[in-house]
Amino acid sequence: MSYYFAIVGTQDNPLFEYEFGTSKQGGDGQSRFTEQVRHLNQFILHSSLDIAEEVQWSHGQIGRGLTGGGSRNGRYLKCIDKFFNNYISCFVTGGNVKFLLLHQPTTPTSTASSRSSTAIGANPTSPATEEAIKMFFMEVYDNWVKAIMNPFYKANMEVRSPIFRARVAAAGRKYL
Amino acid sequence: MAASKASRIGEEIWKTRIDKVNAELVTLTYGTIVAQLCKDFEDDYPEVNRQLDKMGYNIGLRLIEDYLAKSNTMKRCSNFRETADMISRVGFKIFLNITPQVTNWTADNNSFSLVFDENPFADFVELPDDGRAQNELWYSNILCGVLRGALEMVQMQVEAHFISDVLRGNDTTEMRVTLIRYIDDELPPEDD
Amino acid sequence: MKVASKGHSLFRIDNTRRVWFSNSQDKIDILETNSKAETRFMVSPSWPDTLNLTLVSPDSRTVFSLIIINKAGGLIYNKTFHEGGLNKISTNDYLVLAGTFHGVHAITARLNPVKPVAPPPTPGTNEPPNRPEPSSGLEVLETENFRMQCFNTLTGTKFLLFTETTQTNVDVTIKRIYDLYADYVMKNPFYSLEMPIRCDIFDRKLLSYIREINNR
Repeated sequence: MSYYFAIVGTQDNPLFEYEFGTSKQGGDGQSRFTEQVRHLNQFILHSSLDIAEEVQWSHGQIGRGLTGGGSRNGRYLKCIDKFFNNYISCFVTGGNVKFLLLHQPTTPTSTASSRSSTAIGANPTSPATEEAIKMFFMEVYDNWVKAIMNPFYKANMEVRSPIFRARVAAAGRKYL
Repeated sequence: MAASKASRIGEEIWKTRIDKVNAELVTLTYGTIVAQLCKDFEDDYPEVNRQLDKMGYNIGLRLIEDYLAKSNTMKRCSNFRETADMISRVGFKIFLNITPQVTNWTADNNSFSLVFDENPFADFVELPDDGRAQNELWYSNILCGVLRGALEMVQMQVEAHFISDVLRGNDTTEMRVTLIRYIDDELPPEDD
Repeated sequence: MKVASKGHSLFRIDNTRRVWFSNSQDKIDILETNSKAETRFMVSPSWPDTLNLTLVSPDSRTVFSLIIINKAGGLIYNKTFHEGGLNKISTNDYLVLAGTFHGVHAITARLNPVKPVAPPPTPGTNEPPNRPEPSSGLEVLETENFRMQCFNTLTGTKFLLFTETTQTNVDVTIKRIYDLYADYVMKNPFYSLEMPIRCDIFDRKLLSYIREINNR
């Protein structure tokens, strides 16, 4: 399982990106994107922004916090898009910043195996995976709030903080 | 006055006479001031340090009356060691709810360090990664000015500066305070 | 408004210069007050006669006025709370009073009896040098008609409170005024240190606090 995580600002501008692999079931935390598709990740995520917004608005007014299944003032939109073997989950903060996670199972899952396995990664749309990604998003959200409270951070600016990066990596190791 | 008594006084005032305010409001307000100064002075960090010190000095000149009124201090500290204890256990306690450690006294008892285990100003803060802020900016420098201003009003001329800061990657946040002299009441020269 | 007793009857005088007896609904109008504080009353409506009473006010508790002197001896605040308590003097006289008191205070502080001086710390020990407690200087000044108490803060600002000689708890009153000063003067960002105090909120808080005392 390989992950590509990105934070997109209110102007659809990238604020942060981070690539990692699963640490569950003996994973070494390294991503396994092949060289041919790695550069596509950004495009795939970017193209899913439209869908993210569609889902976001179809749930009713923005700011109706809990409708998307998230908590506090963010909304977890679960898996919103799929591009071949790439699944995209989304979380929208109260300030309309989008957390996007592209997850790519190592081997394409057939319908038969997806039913049998609940391991995170093996089945990108299973409830267990959804829950794990939600936990990941929530932890990143907490740290995100702290990062943007830094007085030297300007709104909608790229987040360069190494501390935030380390915390995202830790959240990834912990839940994914 | 014993240090433990000072602690008790600080605790008592903090509990009964202080209006509390959300800590994050303080953190964000102070952070905004520092960030704005950095912007205004185009990241001339030594100048930002000076400005913060100056602002603190002006605060100290006023804050001392509040400290004296709240702590009901009727007599002055009998020596500089007592002053240090009162600064930490009453002053910092009632205004910021922290009690920095008083340590590293020099042999002549004229200079000590305040070691801040926690610093409410610095929550969430990461210094700009421009390669200079880490070496030049003393983020909490306003505190030096506050001490300088407040002590000057009670006839003590001191020098205060930070020598380390966890924000810079140091292990501790430490401020050095040195007594230069007691400003004794100078009577006008006698007319004969 | 004050409560005074004459003989066994208690009465009080309200702002419209009417006297109310505490034990009845009767009231009397003040006709005139002469220079010896003798007041002639017309008792109305039931008593036709006029009545001469000398008003003494043994229970009165009145704060007359407050003066604040900065550490250079300048007058920075002057407020009278009770009309007719103290005679009015000119602003210039107040300035002179402030400056003179400041000087006298400084000299009286030097009059301090000689106290045994603590021995200097023996070299080599870790005993910090002691800073002697300064002597307080003049604290109270009393005349037949008023008492003036001085509170000198550690920063050198002086609060002079003029009260009746029988006033109690003046220390508490002055401390409370100091609290108000710390809050509403020192924390007013537009107040310049050592300058005359023109702070509306301070005035209001002070007046309402003193009124509370004077009406007790």
